[in-house]
Amino acid sequence: MKTFLKKIRSLFPLSWKDCLILVLVMAAGSGICTLLQTISTSDVHVPMIFVLMVLIISMLTDGYFYGILAAVASVFAVNWAFTYPYMKLDFSVYGYPLTFITMLAVGIASSALATRLKEQQKLRLEAEREKTRANLLRSVSHDLRTPLTTISGSISAVLENGNTMEEEEKRELLVNAREDAQWLNRLVENLLSITRISGSSAIHKTDELLEEVISEAVVSFQKRNPDVKVSVSLPEEPLFVPMDAMLIEQVLRNLMENAVVHGQTTDRIQIAAVREGTHIAVSVADNGRGISQQMLPHLFDGMIPMEKKNSDGNRFMGIGLAVCRTIIEAHGGTISAANRKEGGAVFRFTLETGGNTRYEYSG
Amino acid sequence: MNIRDKILVVEDEKSISGFIRTVLAGAGYDVISAHNAAEAFLMISSHCPDLVLLDLGLPDLDGTAVIEAVRQWTQLPIIVVSARSFEKDKIDALDLGADDYITKPFSAPELLARVRVAIRHTRLSGMMTSSGKFISGDLTVDYDKHMVTVKGENCHLTQNEFKIVSLLSRCAGKVLTYDFIMKELWGPQSRGTNQILRVNMANIRRKIEHNPAEPKYIFTEVGVGYRMIEPDA
Repeated sequence: MKTFLKKIRSLFPLSWKDCLILVLVMAAGSGICTLLQTISTSDVHVPMIFVLMVLIISMLTDGYFYGILAAVASVFAVNWAFTYPYMKLDFSVYGYPLTFITMLAVGIASSALATRLKEQQKLRLEAEREKTRANLLRSVSHDLRTPLTTISGSISAVLENGNTMEEEEKRELLVNAREDAQWLNRLVENLLSITRISGSSAIHKTDELLEEVISEAVVSFQKRNPDVKVSVSLPEEPLFVPMDAMLIEQVLRNLMENAVVHGQTTDRIQIAAVREGTHIAVSVADNGRGISQQMLPHLFDGMIPMEKKNSDGNRFMGIGLAVCRTIIEAHGGTISAANRKEGGAVFRFTLETGGNTRYEYSG
Repeated sequence: MNIRDKILVVEDEKSISGFIRTVLAGAGYDVISAHNAAEAFLMISSHCPDLVLLDLGLPDLDGTAVIEAVRQWTQLPIIVVSARSFEKDKIDALDLGADDYITKPFSAPELLARVRVAIRHTRLSGMMTSSGKFISGDLTVDYDKHMVTVKGENCHLTQNEFKIVSLLSRCAGKVLTYDFIMKELWGPQSRGTNQILRVNMANIRRKIEHNPAEPKYIFTEVGVGYRMIEPDA
């Protein structure tokens, strides 16, 4: 009995929102018909308008239920209110039964079609998400191999030939191993960030002070890269922006790391945030060697055309920017990259402010 | 003779435990270790360590439960070792009475810095009353005059702003959770939004930091709370 009820419920999902849509659209239909009645005496348009309303309701609601309900309701509404005899239910007049059956059929068919369309859209979205995930996995496994080889290779070299090696040599191997281990850690952090964006739009946003998130990212970046000068410029007012702070910090860290790793000659990074109407734009600019024209269009899709000759320099291309894009898009923002006129690259992303960025200060 | 501080390392992963022991022993600490919560309880009561490094993911009992149990009878400093991206765990641990946390993976200097701060706080907890001054770089917090100065110039903090700074400076080096600061300042009823604290902090930063986005004195631990820089020795 319970499973039966469940099945019924899944076929006819009830929700206040959908009920409201049904009532409003039907009311709109009746309103239009009433209006038209005052202009013209013909009632040919009436069934058409109601079929249109049925179609609209099917598009806006979940499942077949509301579409069919709307079709049936239309039949009664047309019969009762808009055809002779007015304000009276009468299906016996010549030709009426056929009109009403046709209308009902059209209503049901269009609601079925609308439902199919919505299902297909959902499938396509899912397939797209699956593709991104597969791309990410591919680049991750590719990216994992190199550092793991360095780490295990260097350490076994030290362990096995340690006594015949120069102190200097040993140290260099170990330093390389440590660097690659740290890089692996950053990769794992990126992967963890992605798992935080589970499902479609399920990120947990809270109002955060933008300056705190930026400064935390800068502090942790400076710990790893003390030689790079980072400067930050922000609006004077404190900006509260709804976001998942951990994720936005990840974006900033990736952009700064990239500026150093790919910019190669980068020794200055400038971060700036400005308010642009209903959103905040954050930019991370460096003075490195910039982005090559052939890479520019592919930066964010996680599928960088590998320059084989220079595979070592490119191995970090992997997932950092793809993760940035995933995060920013999950926040409803956009991210873009460009070269600066004065040299170097600039990455820019936007975040919605949700209207209220000011907070009244009261003691 | 120099009495060495004794540190208990509670960690079930042998390799991590080994690495922590080596680092601590190299810095002159006595190190004992436990691999699960049951052993940890035994060691704490029999060895009376000066500090506990506690991994949150133990095989027999959740790390937060260990903190809760230990806090029933002793205030010895506890540093929690946890993975990133679980800020909820960190906040829970701190609110249950852990003194600090360190995020995996961490480096040897980071670990030693945290241990030093935690041990110093227990040593000085009696002395850190509201008398005297806190000095770090150009920043001075004068507890007697209720005044904060940078390069000798008064920052004109409001009453609440001063309370926040003096609270943080008395626990300098330790992270204080939003909830903890809220309760200290606005009382136990101050549940809910911590936006008022954030706004106060934004104003403090504009008064004491040269550039609010590159703080030198008060750092944010995103999602967890605030940490003040350690005072000059």
